[in-house]
Amino acid sequence: MAERMLTYAEAIQEAIDEEMTRDPSVYVLGEDVAIWGNLFGCTKGLLAKYGKERVRDTPISEAALMGCAVGSAAAGMRPVAEIMYIDFISIAADQIINHAARWHQLSGGKVKIPLVVRTQGGVGFRNSSQHSQSLENWFVNIPGLVVVMPSTPYDVKGLLKAAIRDDNPVIFIEHKAVYRNKGNVPKEDYVVPLGKADVKRAGTDLTIIANSWMVLHALEAAEELAKSGISAEVVDPRTLYPLDEKTITDSVRKTGHCLVVNEAPADGGWSATVASMVMERCFANMKKPTARLCGRRTGIPYDKDLERAVVPRVADVVREARALLGR
Amino acid sequence: MELKKSDLLKMFRTMLALRAVDNRLVPLKLKDLVMDGFHPYAGEEAVAAGVCAFLRPDDYVLSTHRPQGHAQAKGASMEAIFCEMLGRMGGPSNGLGGPMQWVDTGNNFFCGSIVGSGVSYSTGFALAARREGKGRIAVCFFGDGASNTGSFHEGLNLAAIWQLPVLYVCENNQYGEAMPVKEFVSASKISARAASYGIKGKTVDGMDVKKVAAAAAEAVKTLRKGKGPAFIEAVTYRYRGHYLGDPENYRTKAEIETWRKKDPIDRLRRELAGTWKVPAAQLKAMEAEVEKLADEAQERALARPKPTLEYALSNVLVPVAGRDA
Repeated sequence: MAERMLTYAEAIQEAIDEEMTRDPSVYVLGEDVAIWGNLFGCTKGLLAKYGKERVRDTPISEAALMGCAVGSAAAGMRPVAEIMYIDFISIAADQIINHAARWHQLSGGKVKIPLVVRTQGGVGFRNSSQHSQSLENWFVNIPGLVVVMPSTPYDVKGLLKAAIRDDNPVIFIEHKAVYRNKGNVPKEDYVVPLGKADVKRAGTDLTIIANSWMVLHALEAAEELAKSGISAEVVDPRTLYPLDEKTITDSVRKTGHCLVVNEAPADGGWSATVASMVMERCFANMKKPTARLCGRRTGIPYDKDLERAVVPRVADVVREARALLGR
Repeated sequence: MELKKSDLLKMFRTMLALRAVDNRLVPLKLKDLVMDGFHPYAGEEAVAAGVCAFLRPDDYVLSTHRPQGHAQAKGASMEAIFCEMLGRMGGPSNGLGGPMQWVDTGNNFFCGSIVGSGVSYSTGFALAARREGKGRIAVCFFGDGASNTGSFHEGLNLAAIWQLPVLYVCENNQYGEAMPVKEFVSASKISARAASYGIKGKTVDGMDVKKVAAAAAEAVKTLRKGKGPAFIEAVTYRYRGHYLGDPENYRTKAEIETWRKKDPIDRLRRELAGTWKVPAAQLKAMEAEVEKLADEAQERALARPKPTLEYALSNVLVPVAGRDA
């Protein structure tokens, strides 16, 4: 496929555009998705191309927009519902957790909820404590949901297309710090399957498992570690649930060391799930217990430096990797 | 709209069926075969029967934690209701849902136990229905208590600005659990809340199935043309507690008796016998038949198996494309 550079935001826009063309039951709704085309341009131009019926600005009513999305999904449409900041998802938690995740089972498998909840989390814009959280752990714990967190323009496009085509409710969490990052996005139609991890960098000394923005940190850290002769493999699960356990365990069995990096706090979280799964499956092949590097258990501060200091940075990943290897 | 004798007989029968099932669920609960979350419907039958009399099978209905009346009036069989209440295979959710939450795809019926939440889904069903263009509508039943939730207000506003074909039916049964409506609803009429969103609202006597049916028929007619939403507040009463075993220390026996005198079934029986000259024997025969059908449905449901653990672990996710292939 020919190389073509797009930003993460452009890749999202293209994915939605292509899926809307392919399937007339796909529609977009959310706060400022139509006239503004989303805060980061992720739905830019769709209103002009598809009109108001299929690209719907909603009131600032997260429960109502999510309820509308869930109801319409149960009735056969394929909504791409946007929650502008993941922090606002608390208002729509009932719709997602008690209903979207439950109706398929309660209907004996007859009703499908092909819903994509697009949202974004994490630090990076000095948005402080109610606009910067990493809340993916809430959803990983809910039976009936798929949780996706793409790190690159290529992945975000392919995963979003897969999410829109999937018949499950998918919580699709983007990261505000990566929207302007550029990467190769082939023009040809492709999907990245849900539930498949990607080895972003091959290595032999340790496995760094990271998600979302932390993948980019891990890759920078791996570059830094390479300067002192440490070969780090970086695995991006891409889908938090269902987790691609095979790709992860294959890597850890090979390297014998495992570091999990996650922006969310460590307690009760996905990072702990990954760490325990690795210990359960790979113990015999491991030279050290799995290490974790996570966000601090505090509110996200407003100050630019402090905001960065409470979540893992590249230098932190390098330090933890060295500590794990004792090198 | 002028109600015909056949309409009245149909609604009479529906109300009898709802009452017959509810009356049987009480002893089943006392035997611990149905759990505490069973919320009796007796007293409110005119609302379900009146509203559903003019619905099409393909219309969507969103209901509450007290769904058995709406479900049956919308088309669910007595046996299906007994099965779900008893937690048996054969219920709409094969007993996984129980008394408060199930999905009945065959009847386009969804209910849940989060008060007010249904209002939010009704907009989505209505949006899909309008897009389809076949005159389908969504009906959303909820109680007085739901009118204080965020989902209610957010949902009404969204349906109003998008003019979605939703019929909101507020069953004002005077109490939100133990709290009297007058103490927790700021508006004198709940239908006034609809008016504040520019939605045509009406408050009707919910103990009179003719009044409910007339209001519903008029609203449904408009909604089928794609004009909406509409709102009916039906003033009604639940004879039994919020749930069975509720201490009922918030109301007097005299109050319950006052409402029982307005019983919707007795009222329609008198009218059918009087105005419509239906022979008493015909009405009695109908009642006996419904009772017999309810007994038989209950027996069949009791003979059904419970869902297995394997079933309880199934249908959590649709196989994820690519991964599970």
